[in-house]
Amino acid sequence: MDAAAAKELGKLLGAGLSMGLGAIGPGVGLGIMIGKALESIARQPEVAGDVRTNMFIGIGVTEAVALYAFVVALILIFVA
Amino acid sequence: MKHPRRWIIALLVLGFLILLALLPGGHKTEFQVAGEFQREVLIKLPTIGPFDMSVTKTVAYLWITVLIVCVVAIVISRSMKLKPGRFQFAMETMYDLARDGIVGSVMKSGKKQWFPYVGGVFFFILVSNLIGLFPLPFGEHHLPSFYAATANLNVTLMLALFTFLFTHYAGIRKNGALRYVKAWAPAGAPPVLKQMIWFIHVISEIFRLISLSVRLFANMVAGHAILAVFFAMALIFQSYLVGLALQGASVLIYMFEIFVAFIQAFIFAILSAVYIGGALDQDH
Repeated sequence: MDAAAAKELGKLLGAGLSMGLGAIGPGVGLGIMIGKALESIARQPEVAGDVRTNMFIGIGVTEAVALYAFVVALILIFVA
Repeated sequence: MKHPRRWIIALLVLGFLILLALLPGGHKTEFQVAGEFQREVLIKLPTIGPFDMSVTKTVAYLWITVLIVCVVAIVISRSMKLKPGRFQFAMETMYDLARDGIVGSVMKSGKKQWFPYVGGVFFFILVSNLIGLFPLPFGEHHLPSFYAATANLNVTLMLALFTFLFTHYAGIRKNGALRYVKAWAPAGAPPVLKQMIWFIHVISEIFRLISLSVRLFANMVAGHAILAVFFAMALIFQSYLVGLALQGASVLIYMFEIFVAFIQAFIFAILSAVYIGGALDQDH
């Protein structure tokens, strides 16, 4: 395999791996968080509004981690 | 003909779609995802200093967004009725969401002062995201294509920069510059630890800028890339049958994108409110 093909292979492999592995953590985290939020809403329906607002803030912060992986994948494919 | 107005609207939409299909410029035979995000220059203008003043696709989308937000806001504020119609009721619900759901639920003080910024950013991003779901003839060869102004890092970074600047402006104006910066580290900690915590806080402030802009940008890019891939299945597999079979999936993705457009606008606005509120009422 020549150098250009090896570089291309590394780029695409790295992009796919970064997106796939980077989605594991936030996926697990989102599942736990939304599950807990639903649990607390079911236990105390009167605080549903507050819980939902804070859940969305948490979703935004957690989800950003997966999107960093997405941006790294984009950079690997189109820039690097 | 039970609902004549509905029929007229349906006919208008159909006519618009046929007009879009009749636009000159040929058709695509190949599909490249990256090509959907290229900034086509619509009007070529000279470069002034380091700034290229050309009107690109992104600028056109921004103008359309501003136009829609301004026109809707002016129309709805001029024609307020005591008994709201359907349109006014929808707008009032959105306004209530921005005022009570976003600003009211996370900010302690300065609600009145900062609601215009947070609400404005909410509606701007919402309209911008939703426009991205309509095919507009700004693609290559003036073909209709999907794009959103917020699927461009320059736009989202500018929005995040506004939040960043307003956060520190609000904090410094309320608490005074020295007290505001001092409060970034807890008062009771030992000196060495205090310096380290202060340093970490500075880094986290800068990372807020990155995460706020990259979140919106990456969400819109990923959503539009998936939409483009699903709508172009016939081109990717070079077969009409596959394209037809996967149209149901593209409808589902499209519905999810409407949800994402709302959620992202909501998250951007609520995080702006959280940051500004945190700078106003420092807890340590």
